[in-house]
Amino acid sequence: MVTETDSSSPDDIDWRSETSSAEMSQRDRLAEFYEQSIYEPAVVAWSDVRTRLGIVILSVYLLMALVEVLGLWRNPAPNQAPRLLAPFVNMQYPLGTTQSGVDLFALIVDSTPFILLMVLAGGVWATSVAIVVGTISGYKGGTVDTVITSISDFFMAIPGLPLIIILAIALSPENPILLGVILTINYWAGLGRSIRSQVLSIREASYVEASRTMGTSTHRIILKDVLPNIMPYVMVNFVLAARYTIFASVGLYFIGVLPYTGQNWGVTLNNAYNQGGLFTLEALHWLLVPIVAIVGLAFGLILVSQGMDRIFNPRVRTRLTGKSESVEEESDNENTSAWV
Amino acid sequence: MNYYLRRTVRIPLTILAVATFTFGLIRLLPGGPFTQLRIQLIRQGVPAEQVNARIEALQNIRPDAPLWQQYLDYLIGVAQLDLGRSISLNAPVIEILARALPWTVFLVVTSTVLMFVIGVLIGAIQAYKEGSRFDKVASGSSIFLMAVPYYIFAVLFLFFLSFQLNLFPTGNAVERGIEASLSAEYFLSVLHHAALPIIAFTIGGVGSTALNMRGNGIQVLGEEYVEVARLRGLPDSRIATKYVAKNAILPMYTGLLLLIGFRLGGTVVLEQIFSYPGLGYYLISAVNANDYPLMMGCFLVITVTLVIAVYIADLTYGLIDPRISAGDSDGY
Amino acid sequence: MATNTDTNTSPTDDTASKRVVDDPILEIEDTNVTYSEGDTYVLEDVNVTIDRHEVLGIVGESGSGKSMFASALLDAVPDPGLLTGKIHYNRKDGSTVDILQMSDEELRQFRWEEISMVFQGAMSSFNPTMKVGSHFKETLRTHDKNVSEGMEFARELLENLYLEPERVLDSYPHELSGGMQQRALIALSMVLDPEVLVMDEPTAALDLLMQRSILQLLDNLQSEYDLTIIFITHDLPLVASLADRMAIIYAFQFAEIGPRDEIIGNSAHPYTRELLNSTPNLDAPLEDMQPIEGEGPAPVNVPSGCRYHPRCQLATEKCRTDDPPFSPVDGGGGHRSACHYREEAREEIPLNFGKTAEDFDQQLVSDPTDGPNAGSTATLETTSDTPLLSLDDVEVHFGEEQSLIERFTQDPTVVRAVDGISLDIEEQDLVCLLGESGCGKTTLGKTMIGLQKPTGGSIEYRGHDIWEAKAGNTDIPYKEVRSALQIIHQDPGSALNPNRRIADILTEPLRHTHPNIGRAERRDRMHSLLERVGMTPAGDFLERYPHQLSGGEKQRVALARALLMDPDAILADEAISAVDVSLRIGIMDLMLELQAEFDTSFLFISHDLSNARYFAEHGDGRIAVMYLGEIVEIGSAERLIHDPRHPYTEVLRWATPNLDLDAMDAEDPPIREIDVPDPVDPPSGCRFHTRCPVAREACREEQPKLAELDDGDGAAACFREDPNHAYWNSEPLDGAAENPEGLEQH
Repeated sequence: MVTETDSSSPDDIDWRSETSSAEMSQRDRLAEFYEQSIYEPAVVAWSDVRTRLGIVILSVYLLMALVEVLGLWRNPAPNQAPRLLAPFVNMQYPLGTTQSGVDLFALIVDSTPFILLMVLAGGVWATSVAIVVGTISGYKGGTVDTVITSISDFFMAIPGLPLIIILAIALSPENPILLGVILTINYWAGLGRSIRSQVLSIREASYVEASRTMGTSTHRIILKDVLPNIMPYVMVNFVLAARYTIFASVGLYFIGVLPYTGQNWGVTLNNAYNQGGLFTLEALHWLLVPIVAIVGLAFGLILVSQGMDRIFNPRVRTRLTGKSESVEEESDNENTSAWV
Repeated sequence: MNYYLRRTVRIPLTILAVATFTFGLIRLLPGGPFTQLRIQLIRQGVPAEQVNARIEALQNIRPDAPLWQQYLDYLIGVAQLDLGRSISLNAPVIEILARALPWTVFLVVTSTVLMFVIGVLIGAIQAYKEGSRFDKVASGSSIFLMAVPYYIFAVLFLFFLSFQLNLFPTGNAVERGIEASLSAEYFLSVLHHAALPIIAFTIGGVGSTALNMRGNGIQVLGEEYVEVARLRGLPDSRIATKYVAKNAILPMYTGLLLLIGFRLGGTVVLEQIFSYPGLGYYLISAVNANDYPLMMGCFLVITVTLVIAVYIADLTYGLIDPRISAGDSDGY
Repeated sequence: MATNTDTNTSPTDDTASKRVVDDPILEIEDTNVTYSEGDTYVLEDVNVTIDRHEVLGIVGESGSGKSMFASALLDAVPDPGLLTGKIHYNRKDGSTVDILQMSDEELRQFRWEEISMVFQGAMSSFNPTMKVGSHFKETLRTHDKNVSEGMEFARELLENLYLEPERVLDSYPHELSGGMQQRALIALSMVLDPEVLVMDEPTAALDLLMQRSILQLLDNLQSEYDLTIIFITHDLPLVASLADRMAIIYAFQFAEIGPRDEIIGNSAHPYTRELLNSTPNLDAPLEDMQPIEGEGPAPVNVPSGCRYHPRCQLATEKCRTDDPPFSPVDGGGGHRSACHYREEAREEIPLNFGKTAEDFDQQLVSDPTDGPNAGSTATLETTSDTPLLSLDDVEVHFGEEQSLIERFTQDPTVVRAVDGISLDIEEQDLVCLLGESGCGKTTLGKTMIGLQKPTGGSIEYRGHDIWEAKAGNTDIPYKEVRSALQIIHQDPGSALNPNRRIADILTEPLRHTHPNIGRAERRDRMHSLLERVGMTPAGDFLERYPHQLSGGEKQRVALARALLMDPDAILADEAISAVDVSLRIGIMDLMLELQAEFDTSFLFISHDLSNARYFAEHGDGRIAVMYLGEIVEIGSAERLIHDPRHPYTEVLRWATPNLDLDAMDAEDPPIREIDVPDPVDPPSGCRFHTRCPVAREACREEQPKLAELDDGDGAAACFREDPNHAYWNSEPLDGAAENPEGLEQH
């Protein structure tokens, strides 16, 4: 039974009373966490058509990854099927086959877990480095800021893909997580700079000064006062970083400069391109299937990001979860996306 | 004044840092920088004891010298625009790159300007007609365009327009046999060859530009100074340009600095697909041929190009936004 | 909710209003502004006539529809609002047009040439990427005027507004101070020589002295250029000094309109009377100032009947059901009021400032124990106890950031925000820092509570240097110092983290003071304190996010948050200036009550002498007047108001609007320059000498020291206190009064 304290008489304990000790129950905490961190964001996310569509699309990819992990579909192998079978003709090979008779659906499914892992790693790496760097640089200021800013300026001065190519030659990354990190090796720099300038303005906000005045520790201020306010921006950019990871990886696989074992979407595209897919309409599906896989994933991610800033907006939250009305006017600024 | 000075001072520093970084990267590569060359020389029948001397002659670096000596030699070489000799093409790296650089700059500049102009126009119309059918369709298309990487457009264009319909060439920057001159023939040939890469590269960025411009435009349209300008009776055209467009584009300008980097890097894939002889194309050739001097040369030149491009963008930003004062270095 | 719109549009009202005005320039009839397809009224049933060359002051709280009225006069209601009714404009030549019937082109020419407008935020009214001069030129060009003649006129206007025309025209907006921008904006609105100037809160973002100076200039402009001015504000006493007639808007309707003296002295609407009584001013006895409970309604839930009835002390059943007509009041020329009980209002709600000066003085004298003299002498003389906070020659200098190259080529530019201030704050003391923006009062306040590190001097908390404590060099834990000194900010909007619920925000201080308590107890504590600060039902408020609270409520939460730290001193940085006028007294009272309950000291920062007076006099405190980083005078509120010693205090006294009708008509400002000098390069000698009305050569050379007064409490830094000073024999500066005694005459 959850104790609802609002009804209890405030005479018992008044704001100046001496400390008593009644621990907050584990269950209360869980309930509160569920309400604030799972239920409310879910309601908000689902309320937006674009986000809803995005979630559905991403679920399809997760499902494909699950199919692969559980081994529910055949592994790709040459000559496992007739050559260059068109899609949707033979439901045994729903997406058709390649010139060497490989089931295209198997090819796509086979590398889904790899791609998802890589995309996740790229997004997490880029955004978390950017958050750490941007927050420290913006909040601490001074020499720390100068040093960090110079370093990120330097990384911003190096074009991404050429650097990735050379690192790929040097490190031969085949692990999806390592690959994700390498692909976004300098992506964080630009993001870090814009997080820094946001933190700079939040640092001046009265509520941060109030927390400082109370003696709240710096890391708690960053955790409770600064980060929640940049979260919408960070989440949108997480998705953009993830998108960049797919684009970069597929592009580099496609031109054959990333090392690989086995097939994946980019390699399939490369094979289709180099082994005659360009010359005949019969092989068009060979080219299109990996393209659709890539575009679909990116599209799903972007759709989710379009509604992402709403999840963290307390105004939208209170409106949609049926809490009381806002007294201020709604300011609907659709801050869509950073620009890359 | 000081703003420009600071930006200018930073250029050689950044180039020095990049050159150092490049030097370090070479040592990271499998087998080090000279293995491939050494094998090649030995295969050509150069006696083993002369190999080092030959390498030194070719690359300006003594492979047996201590690291700091090699580093100094490398920096001196860079300063003298001597980037060594390409192994696979058997020509000085700097010559190859000097021929390649203009093509890459041409691609990036043209497509970026086009992308910017088209995206800004679409976004501005959307902002003015917020909520209209055009706005909704354009927003939907923009989101979809953001999901398609530019090289997919490149592949599809190549497939349909070049291979299936034979409307456009599938490689090179200009028809073989046409001499570089100011003739219309040459000019048209260049455009013919560059059309597809430029269009693909442009479309790839229009979506996010338009979405960005739409957001900024809507925000600026809600500003009080636009309302005051209307009350003062200013013509709509002046409000649209001097008030809305200028103030909505300015914040995008900082994003442009980042964007140049991404687009310059993106030419690697684009030029490879269209066999377009720019820096990216040679970088990939060098990678495939294990031609380390050419690879590092390409990398260095692409980076320096980016540094200079950002510098130019930076300077013009200071010119068009009066709020960037001397003390304000936070242009990003 | 169905609002009855027919009751007060009877034809008699129209005739009544027309009768009073001889030469109307604007006749507004049955004008409404609606949203949501006519369901929501943001301006309802306006029937007002505006006379040529009059100054009409319109007063209303935030969100009362007063800005909508301003926009309606230019037919510029923001989309998707719908403006209906008739607004007749009578041109000089006698022809009449209905503004709402004009074509787009007619309207385009009409605006700015006939009626123009000044908005509140000057910074947001100028295009940030265009020079100020270009704004003038493009306006002239669009209206087919001769640009060089027009610019001549613009320069004249700017000069009349005490600005340097060339410098201002050649600047970008961000290069000007707020006061300069606002004056440039006024010049821009007058550049086509319009007949009518509609001003929507044109001075709200500025501090009091600048506001009053601008009003003074407006008064001059109005007579020089034969303007009709409609001045819209939330600040009743401010506009009272300028207006010929005044109107009060409440909840999207006109509640009362009439000649200024009638409205101020003989108002016939309970809202006006209570608003007058709730306005801090220098004339009324403190205990008669009363806040109005509650807040104005939102457009979506306007109360039935009289809109003011939920807050009105006289409301009856009739008020709840019947909408009172907006009809003439007996005896007042053109005085109209929308109230069922006008006579009762006049009888039941006496005006607090109507008492004569003798009454007022007597009342003060009659209470000697509570008098400020007692309190402040005590604080000045009890030196035996260690003060709570002790500032010794504190300096805060901000160096502007310089690059490596600049360091060799230029002298560092240093802003001397605080320059050599010594001050002791006792336990349960109350000190108000008073001054213009940029005088360093906020910096000094933050230095006092240890948020800003002084660049010189020392600041001690109960005898321990705060910054030594932070470095761990004293035996007192820094944590203790930190929690003892708390802050309440100016802007309630940014004082609370928008992403946390009130419960989470208030949990934060409890984590420091009571780290080990459970959720239930924590809630009980927050609950009881919220009820104490007047937020009920507290349980409901705890679950809300800041955006669900009004400005006043946010400020109460900020106060609660500071109190939960159990502090010894609270810095209230302009803590009420963003709150609606009718609520200010309430929050100040609350702070004073809690000061007694919690045994804390208060440091109250303000630019408004009447607020500082309310605070200091109620709490037995002192007021410290700051100018360009220095304290120029300090003393009890009573002494400062009735016997100011420093000319600057006198200036601030002048700038404080009062409601005394006899003294109301504005005199020229007792300053020679309107703008504050650049704090990077403060004037030599006495820093006030560039603006001081009685400055002499001596002031330019020598800097006066803050000296204890012989014949009064406190201290002042002016040579005029020393009868033997060389000042008396030196020449007056340019523009300063020949007769130094002249100042004391008002």
